[in-house]
Amino acid sequence: MSDIPSRVAACFTNVFPDLAEADVTRASQASLPQWDSVAHVTLLSAIAEEFGIELDEEAFESLASYLLILDFVEGRLGQA
Amino acid sequence: MTLAQALGLVRRRERPIRDRRMFIACGFELLHLGTFLQGYFVRRFPDEAADLETGLYGDLEGSLAAAVGSGAEAAAVIIEWSDLDSRLGLRSAGGWGLSVQPDILANCRGRFARLLPRLEALASKMPVALVPPTLPVPLLGHSAGWQAGSNELELERQLAAFLADAARLARVSVLSTARLDKLSPVASRLDALMELKAGFPYSLAHASVLAGQIVQMLFPPSPMKGLITDLDETLWSGIVGEVGARAVSWSLSEHSQVHGLYQQLLRHFSEIGVLLAIASKNELATAQEALRREDLYIPAQAFYPVRADWGPKSRHVGDILRIWNIGADSVVFVDDSAMELDEVRAAFPSMTCLQFPKRHPSKALELFEELRDLFGKPAVHLEDALRSAGIRASGAFHAAAQQADSGEFVRGLRGRVTFDFHKSAANPRLLELINKTNQFNLNGVRLSEGEWIRHLEDQDGFVMGVSYEDRFGPLGIVGVMAGRQAGDRLEVTSWVLSCRAFSRRIELHMLEFVFRRLNPAAVRLDFRPTARNQPLQQFLQSIGPLENGAPLLLSREQFYNRLDDLPHEVRIQEDV
Repeated sequence: MSDIPSRVAACFTNVFPDLAEADVTRASQASLPQWDSVAHVTLLSAIAEEFGIELDEEAFESLASYLLILDFVEGRLGQA
Repeated sequence: MTLAQALGLVRRRERPIRDRRMFIACGFELLHLGTFLQGYFVRRFPDEAADLETGLYGDLEGSLAAAVGSGAEAAAVIIEWSDLDSRLGLRSAGGWGLSVQPDILANCRGRFARLLPRLEALASKMPVALVPPTLPVPLLGHSAGWQAGSNELELERQLAAFLADAARLARVSVLSTARLDKLSPVASRLDALMELKAGFPYSLAHASVLAGQIVQMLFPPSPMKGLITDLDETLWSGIVGEVGARAVSWSLSEHSQVHGLYQQLLRHFSEIGVLLAIASKNELATAQEALRREDLYIPAQAFYPVRADWGPKSRHVGDILRIWNIGADSVVFVDDSAMELDEVRAAFPSMTCLQFPKRHPSKALELFEELRDLFGKPAVHLEDALRSAGIRASGAFHAAAQQADSGEFVRGLRGRVTFDFHKSAANPRLLELINKTNQFNLNGVRLSEGEWIRHLEDQDGFVMGVSYEDRFGPLGIVGVMAGRQAGDRLEVTSWVLSCRAFSRRIELHMLEFVFRRLNPAAVRLDFRPTARNQPLQQFLQSIGPLENGAPLLLSREQFYNRLDDLPHEVRIQEDV
């Protein structure tokens, strides 16, 4: 579904309200100081809720940027 | 509420009118539960914000102690099994084998015993919502999953005893697990991944439901005050005008038990102070004949007034509201006819109009549950039992008042006002009056229980309750004035008088008594006009110039110059 990137981006701006929309696609745990452990849990939970997907331990550890999360969601939804 | 919605609500608020502090005592990471709590809070109070404080991870007892000194206005205490013994949590490696189960049970017993006094200490400072473990007991026991083990049941017994003791503490509300079970299926409450990775044990859906229930418990809506019911196919089965008073029914044998259950519910409501009235399309004499039947589960005198003729129901409802002297938004109308409900709803859009589902027992039970939610109150006071009798007496009072000069009439009441300056949180009636009175209300400001306790603890603060009785009977506690002394001035921030006590000049007695007892040079009334406080505004206009929105400063001299007559005997509580 073509709106997956915008829905992932909406999750980011919901969790990081100070993040400019133009910067979302470049966002990563390394580049965003607000992306701490609490924000990580909140973001992944918001993604899981938005797309109705279940996270596993590997995803929990590895999804550390917008692009990785987008890949993960598209893969889970069979859209890659 | 979804997490995205909760985040949206929390982020949206720019500048809240006021911040409300809540303490959340739990042994896990607050995470999404905190977001949902804030979300539900903002949904309930759109102009306010909830600041959440919490204790250390894994230290429920320490959090309870911290909460006592936190200065928060409300607290939620959320217990999970791992708070009672860490071996009952997924993050522990202590085991729960048969050999250690007696030790786990003994440990839990000791923990419950320590939690209770800490809970009591916390509840002396603020209202507390107590949430018992909502996750399933972990893999304790040697039996297969379909058989309850004796140690699991022993654990449940300890919990039930603890909760029963806690529920008896003033200002402690225990979450109903029966209601929670309906809203959040047990099997989908645990999020094992989040528990192991982040120390947060709840699924999003469960956290959302739990947060909603906690906000409801800590900031409950004001209960409805009155219920107006139809008769035919509602209070009983059958059309009394067609089949006669002996043939309408409400029994199991006549397949009309739901009407009998409805009568029992209404009887319960009348005992907790809910006003009941009847609006029926019938001949009045016919309706009254059926209401006199001795096998009715609710005595006919529980209904006042009874309005029955062939006019529109909205006219009956309007009459009843005038006699009760309460607003349509505090009243529920129950009728089996969708058309009648629409007619009343059109006339009173703020009234809650509910259809009685005759011949549908399961839907009738849903209606009864909804009614319980609308009328349920945390505690029942003496004034609740007096309310219905007071309304009847009020009818006689107004009839007598119309036949006499008002000054002479009020003096002839042989009234007695009793003032009470005790600053005790043990009398919840005072706060209840402040929060439910609309007409004689200084500013419409509602207070939470925590804010009220803070006020009672303020050394310069004062509270004056007033009770009243006269030859028409006792009305109980009918008024409250509260504020603080600032130098030689008295700042009055809350002042309410129940509508049942109007037309007796009790308000004049209240103002005079604070001048006399507290001896200020002036009283500053924190007046604000509201949509419904015209009776208060009229009184203020009678004692001094009134500017809308401005506090009113009334000097001792001004007041006593205008004071002409105090009609009642005055007592103070110490004398009684």
